[in-house]
Amino acid sequence: MKRLLITLALAAVLPAAAQEPIKIGLVTALSGQSARAGEALTRGLQVAIDEINARGGVRVGNQSGRKLELVRRDDEATLFGGLDSPVALAIVPIANENKLPFMDPWAAGTPITKNGAKDNYVFRVSAVDELVDKAMLQYAQKTFNARNCGMILVNNPWGESNEKGLRAALAEKGVKSAGMEKFEPNDIDVVPQLSRLKSAGADCLFLVGNVGPSSQVVKSLDRMGWMPPIVSHWGPAGGRFTELAGPSAKNVHFVQTYSFFGKQSAVGEKVLKALMAKYPDIKGPGDVTPAVGVANAYDAMMLTALAIQNAGSTDGPKVRDGYYKIDRYDGLIKTYTKPFSPQQHDALNENDYVWAQFIDNQIVPVGVKQ
Amino acid sequence: MIGSALISGLGLGSMYGLLALGFYVTFAVSSTVNFAQGSSMMLGAVFAYTFSVRLGWPFVPAAAIALLLCALYGLAVEFLAVRPFASRGSNAWLMATVALGIIADNTVLFTFGKEPRGLALPWASTATTVLGVHVSTLQIAIPAVGLALAALLHWFSRVTRHGKAMLAVVQNADAARLMGINVPLAIMAAYAVSTIFAGAAGIMIAPLSTVHSDMGTVFGLKAFAVAILGGITSAWGVMLAGLIFGVVESLITALLGSAYTQILTFTLVIVALALMPHGLFGHAELKKV
Amino acid sequence: MKLALLIVAFAAAIAFTTVANSYYVFIMATLALTAVAGIGLNVLLGLTGQVSFGHVGFYALGAYAVAVLTVAAKWNFWLALPVAALLAGAIGALLALPALRVRGPYLAMVTIAFGFVIENLAVEWRSVTGGQNGIMGVPQPALGAFAFGERGVAIAAIVLAALAAYGFHLLNGSKAGAAMRAVKDTEVAAESIGLDPVRIKTLAFAISAVYAGVAGAFFASLSGFVTPSTFSFSQSILFVLVVIIGGAGSLAGPLVGATIVVLLPEALAALAEYRLLFFGALLLGVLWLAPDGVTGLVARLIARRRKPRFASGGEVTLPPAQRLTLEVRGVGIAFGGVKAASDVSLRAPPGKVTTLIGPNGAGKTTVLNMLSGFYRPDAGSIAIGGREIAGAAAWRIARAGIARTYQTAQLFGSMTVAENLGIAGGGEELLAFVGYRGDVDGRSADLPHVDKRLVEIARALATRPSVLLVDEPAAGLAREDKARLATLLRRIADSGVAVVLVEHDMPVVMGISDTVIVLDAGVVIAAGAPADVQRNPAVRKAYLGEEAARPPEARGPRAAGEPYLAVGKLQAGYGAEPVLKGVDLEVREREVVAVLGANGAGKSTLMRAIAGLLRPVAGGIAFGGEDVARLPAHKIAPRGLALVPEGRQVFPELSVLHNLELGAYTRRSGRKGEIGRDIAAMLERFPRLRERLHQRAGLLSGGEQQMLAVARGLMARPKLLLLDEPSLGLAPIVINDLFAALNRLRAESATILLVDQMAGLALGLADRAYVIDGGRIVASGPANEIATTGALERAYLAIT
Repeated sequence: MKRLLITLALAAVLPAAAQEPIKIGLVTALSGQSARAGEALTRGLQVAIDEINARGGVRVGNQSGRKLELVRRDDEATLFGGLDSPVALAIVPIANENKLPFMDPWAAGTPITKNGAKDNYVFRVSAVDELVDKAMLQYAQKTFNARNCGMILVNNPWGESNEKGLRAALAEKGVKSAGMEKFEPNDIDVVPQLSRLKSAGADCLFLVGNVGPSSQVVKSLDRMGWMPPIVSHWGPAGGRFTELAGPSAKNVHFVQTYSFFGKQSAVGEKVLKALMAKYPDIKGPGDVTPAVGVANAYDAMMLTALAIQNAGSTDGPKVRDGYYKIDRYDGLIKTYTKPFSPQQHDALNENDYVWAQFIDNQIVPVGVKQ
Repeated sequence: MIGSALISGLGLGSMYGLLALGFYVTFAVSSTVNFAQGSSMMLGAVFAYTFSVRLGWPFVPAAAIALLLCALYGLAVEFLAVRPFASRGSNAWLMATVALGIIADNTVLFTFGKEPRGLALPWASTATTVLGVHVSTLQIAIPAVGLALAALLHWFSRVTRHGKAMLAVVQNADAARLMGINVPLAIMAAYAVSTIFAGAAGIMIAPLSTVHSDMGTVFGLKAFAVAILGGITSAWGVMLAGLIFGVVESLITALLGSAYTQILTFTLVIVALALMPHGLFGHAELKKV
Repeated sequence: MKLALLIVAFAAAIAFTTVANSYYVFIMATLALTAVAGIGLNVLLGLTGQVSFGHVGFYALGAYAVAVLTVAAKWNFWLALPVAALLAGAIGALLALPALRVRGPYLAMVTIAFGFVIENLAVEWRSVTGGQNGIMGVPQPALGAFAFGERGVAIAAIVLAALAAYGFHLLNGSKAGAAMRAVKDTEVAAESIGLDPVRIKTLAFAISAVYAGVAGAFFASLSGFVTPSTFSFSQSILFVLVVIIGGAGSLAGPLVGATIVVLLPEALAALAEYRLLFFGALLLGVLWLAPDGVTGLVARLIARRRKPRFASGGEVTLPPAQRLTLEVRGVGIAFGGVKAASDVSLRAPPGKVTTLIGPNGAGKTTVLNMLSGFYRPDAGSIAIGGREIAGAAAWRIARAGIARTYQTAQLFGSMTVAENLGIAGGGEELLAFVGYRGDVDGRSADLPHVDKRLVEIARALATRPSVLLVDEPAAGLAREDKARLATLLRRIADSGVAVVLVEHDMPVVMGISDTVIVLDAGVVIAAGAPADVQRNPAVRKAYLGEEAARPPEARGPRAAGEPYLAVGKLQAGYGAEPVLKGVDLEVREREVVAVLGANGAGKSTLMRAIAGLLRPVAGGIAFGGEDVARLPAHKIAPRGLALVPEGRQVFPELSVLHNLELGAYTRRSGRKGEIGRDIAAMLERFPRLRERLHQRAGLLSGGEQQMLAVARGLMARPKLLLLDEPSLGLAPIVINDLFAALNRLRAESATILLVDQMAGLALGLADRAYVIDGGRIVASGPANEIATTGALERAYLAIT
C-alpha cells in the first residue's frame, strides 16, 4: 500500500512552464514515530527556499530568476523524502525508473544511495548507516575506552542494516563484540535481552532504535540497575526522549550531523535567525528539533538549487548531472567541496558527525551543558 | 540472568494476565469478547496521560477518571459491536470489535498525536534489590495489582450479590432471569469491568512503556493468546496462563536469544491448542445433537 | 447473467489496464491480487465458515517462494509459481490439523499465531529470506523472449483473478463446494449424510492457501521485492475486510470487496491519512447494515420474485436399498459417572418400524446418538448387516447405511431444497415421495416447520440408507401433518428400510410401530407389540407414576382466595406453528393447581410463557391483577412469581449457599439477617442441603439438586411458586421425599402451579388440575375427579 501512495506522488512528471515556479516535492511519513521529522524538514527546506527566492530565485538556462515552491505530492522537479529507510528504499527504484532526482535529507539506510542502479538519481545530505556505525565504534573506543560492546537493535530493517554496518566496523578494526540482541518496537521489557549482553560482559552498548524503542532500552537498564555507556544512532533525536526515557536519557550519546548550540558559523547564525523570524515557536537553538532535519534539509535544498542552476533545466537527467558539477558551497553543516560524483551520492561522511545528548529537553553537543 | 528474566517474565506475564482477565470477564458472562482489548488498554494509558500530564491533575483522580472513561468505552463496545450481533446469534461481533478497535486506535492517533509520550511516575521507577536482582517498584506493583485484581474479581463474584448474579448468568442465563437478574445489564457490567481491567493494565504499563496509539495492538493479541491458553473460563487459569506465557517468553529470550522469541512462543501457542483444544485449564463441553 | 456481468467487468479491467498510466496499472494489479487472495479466503470463510486472521502467512509463503527461487536459484517465474502454490497449499493443509480441532476465538488465535510465525520466520531466517530488508530485484515473468513488464504483470494478474473467480464458481457448484457449505451450515447433519468434516475443511484450508500463495507469488514479481513488513497482521485483517465487505460466500463478493478496499483510499487521496479510520467505520457499517456484504445488499435490492418450481409429482417409489438389519446388544454410556443408558439391546429388521419411547430423560436420544456415531458407547455392540460399527465416526456410520434426522431439523439452511438433496446424492423425485409440495429452489432455512421435517427425511433417504433413525419427527406438527408423517414413515418401512423411531406422540407411535421398546432411566423396561406395551404395568408406572392406581387421599377443604394468576387465550411457541393454541387457566390464592399432559403437549412452554422466559406471546397473563404478558422474566420475578424450571437448572459452579442467596436476589429490601433466617429455615425444610451447604451445586445428586431448586425458588418468598417437572429423572424414593416436602408447603398455604408427568403424584398434591393436549386445555376440574375421567390416559398413552 505504501508504494501506491508513492506512485501517486510521482504520477506524472510534467515539464514546468517557463515562468512558473520550480516545484520541489516533499513526501513525508503520514504517521509513526518520526512524524516530527516531517515538520523539521519542511522548515529547513522553507527557510532555504525563502532565502533563494529573496535573492531572486534560480537562474535556469537563459531564464533568470525562477522562483522555487515547496509542494506536497505533486508534479515536481526534484523530490525530497522525509521518510524512514524502508519507505525511502521503496521510492528508490521508482525514482530511478522515472529519472526523477530524489534527494534524501533524512533516512540513513546505506542502500538508499548505494542502490546498485546503473542510472542512480538518488542523493543524500544526511547520515549514512554504515558510516554512522563506524563512527559509533570509534566514539565508544575513544570516549569510553570500550573493548566489548554489545548491540541492542530494534527489530526492523533499520536495525538490521545497522547490524551489518556495526559487524563490518567491528571486523574492520578486529574488535570483538559481546553479542547482538534485537527487540520489538512495542516491547515493554527489554531486560532479558540486556541481561544476555550483560552476562556476556558488555562494557558498552550500541543502540539503534527510534525514540520510543530507545527509551524502552534506557528504562529497562534503569530497572536492571546497570549503567553502561550507551552509544546510539540518532533515534533518540526524533522525539521527546527525556520525557520518554526519564532522567537516564542523558546517558545516551547519539550521533547528529549538526547542532545549533555552541558557537555558530555565519551560515548557522543566519539560518537560526531566519527560523526564529519565520516560526514564532522557535525562541532559541533548543527549539529547532530535530536539528538534523532542519540542517540537512537546508543544505540539501541549497545544493539542489545549485544543481538546477548547473543543469540549466529542470529535466531529471540534467539536474542529476548538475549535482555532479557542484564545485563548492559554504553550507550550514560544513563547506562542501565537490560533494557529489557518479561514485559518491552522499554529501556527508563520518567526519561530519557530532555527538550529542539530551539535557532536559534539548539536544546539545556532548559536554556543552551538564 | 535467569533470575532477572524470571522477574521480567512474571511482570510481563501478570500484565498479560490482567488484560486477559478482561477477556475472561466478558466471555464468562456472555461468551463474547472484545477482540480489540488492546485498544481499551491503550485508552487507559492515553486518558491517564491526558489528565495527569496535559491537564496537570494529581495522579489518583486522573487515573480514576481515566478508568471511568474506559468503562464508558466498554459500554460502547457492548452496545455498538457486540449486542447487535450476539442478539441474533451471529458471531460477527468478532469482526465488529476489531472494527471498533481500529476506529479507537486511529481516533487517538489523530487527536492525541502521532508522537509517543512518556507517563512518568517517580515512585514507580525507584529500584530495590530482591535476591540479588534489581527490581523496580512498579515491577513488584504490577503482579501485586494483577493478583489483587484477580482476587478482587474472585471476591466480588463469590461474595457480593451482584458478583454472584454475574456468575449465575454465565452458568444458566434463563435460570438467572428467573432469579430476577437483568441479564443484558449484567453483560453490560461485564464489558465495563473488562475495559476497566484493560485500562488499569494500560495505566500501569504506561510508565514502563510509552504512550501512543498502537501501544496495545500486539500486547492485546498476546493477552488474547493468554486468555485462550488459560481456557477463558477460569480467572485463576487465565492469570496462571499469563504468568506462564510471560515467563516462557522471557526465558526464551534470555536463554536462546531474541531471534527465537516470537517464532517459538507463537508456535507453542499453536501446538498447545492443537493438543489441548480447550486451553491449558479449560474443559470440553458435551457435544449435544 | 451474473457470469456475463463478471466477464464484462474483467474485460473492461483489462482494456483499462492496457491504456492506463503506470500509476493505475499498479493499482489495477494490486486490486486483482487482493481479489485473488480474497477469493481464496472466501473459500474458507464463505463456503466453510472458518475465519482466518493469518491468511497473510500464505500470501507471504507464495511471495517468498517465488522471490527465493527466481532470485537465488534463478528459476523461471513460471516454474517457481507452481512450487509457490504447492508450498502454500501443503502448509495450509498442515495448519488445518490444529485449526480443525478448535473453533471460534480459539481458531482465530491459531491463525493469528500462524501469521506471526511466518512473518517472524521471514525476519529471522536471514540466509534464505534476506531478513528485514527482504529480497530485492525479483524479476518480472517472461514467456520466451517476451518480457511482461509492469503492465503485462498487471494484465496477467487480472486474468488470474478471472480464473480464480471461475475456479470459485466451479468449486461452488461442485460436490466438494456443496459439502463445504453443508459443513458450514450444520456439521452434524453433514456427518450424518456421510461427509467427513475434517477432510472437507482440510481441503478448504488447502485450496484457500493455494489462492493466497499464488496471489503472493504474483505480488512478488509485480513489486520486484519482498520484505517482512508487507506481510503484517493488518494485511490479514485487510483480506478478511475484503471478503466481509464484499459479501462472504458470494462469487462477486471478494471482487467487489477488493475494489472497495483498494480503490476507495485512492479515490479519497486527500484523506489518505484517515484510511484505517475509514475502513474501521466501513466495516462496522457493513456488519450493521449489510451482514451479507455489499453484494448481498445489492442482491436483496434487485431480487425479483423468482417463479417457484415444484417437484414433479406422479407415482414415486423409493429406490430399493440394501436390506440390512440393525442389531444392538448391550450398549451403554455414562457421562461424568451418571449412566445415561445401560445394557440397551434392540433389533431393527428391514421393513419394520421399531420405536423407542419413554419419559423425558429416559435416554432415547442418547441411544440414537450412539447408533449414529455422535457418542462412542462405553460398552456393547452395534452391528448393521453383521458389520460392527460401534464407536465409528458419524460419517462412516452414515456411509455404512444408517441415516438419521434430528429433533430440531438440521437442514443446510443456506442451500435450496434441491441442493440439500443433491449433496446427499438424491434427486427431486424423493421430494415427491415424502410429499413435499413446496418450492424446490427455495432456501431451506425459510421453509415452514413441517416442510423442514419432510425435506430432512427426503435428504436422509437420498443416501439410500438401510436404516433410518428418526428423532421426534412429530414434535410441533399439526394433527393432520402428524397423520401424513405417520403414513410416510410406514411407507418408508414398507419399501424395505429398517426405521428406528423416537417419538412422544402416542397416536403416531401406536399407529405405525411394529415393535415398541420402552426406556426408563436409561434401561429397557419393556419391549413388544404396541398393544402389549400399552397395557404393561411397568410402562404405566413409568409414565403415570407410582400413585396412578391409588386415589388421592381425602383432604380437608381449603378456602381458595383471590385469583393470583389468570391466563387467557394464551398463544406461544418458538416457530411458525404455536405450541400453545389458546390456553385459559387460573390459580387462586392458597391453591395447588396441576397441569397434566403428555410430553410435547406444551406444559413447559406454558410455564416459560407465564414466567416471562418466552416472549412474545399472544393473549393475556395477569399476575396479582397486573398484566405481565409483555414483561421479561427478570421483571416478573420481583413481583412475587418464582419458577423452579424443568431440569432443576441450579447454578452448578456455585455453592449450595450461593444458590440459595441468589434465590433471594430480588429481595433488595431484605436485610442480611432476614435472608440468613430464611436460609436456616430452608435447611430445616430440606435437611440434606445442610451437609452440602458449601459444596458446588453441580456435585449434588439429582434429588438434592431438585430440593435446592425448590428451596432457591422459595428464597424469593414468592406469592406463587411454579414447579416444572420436579420429579423428572429422579429415583422413586427421592420423588417421595420431594413430594412430602411439597405437601408440607401445601399445608403451609403456599400457592403452587405444578406441571408433572407423574400424574398420580401431581394429583395427590393438587386441589385442581388441567389436562393439556396439543396445546389446548382438554379437561379441567378438581384433582380427584380428573383422575377418573379417562382424559389422562388418552392424553398420555393414547388409550381410548
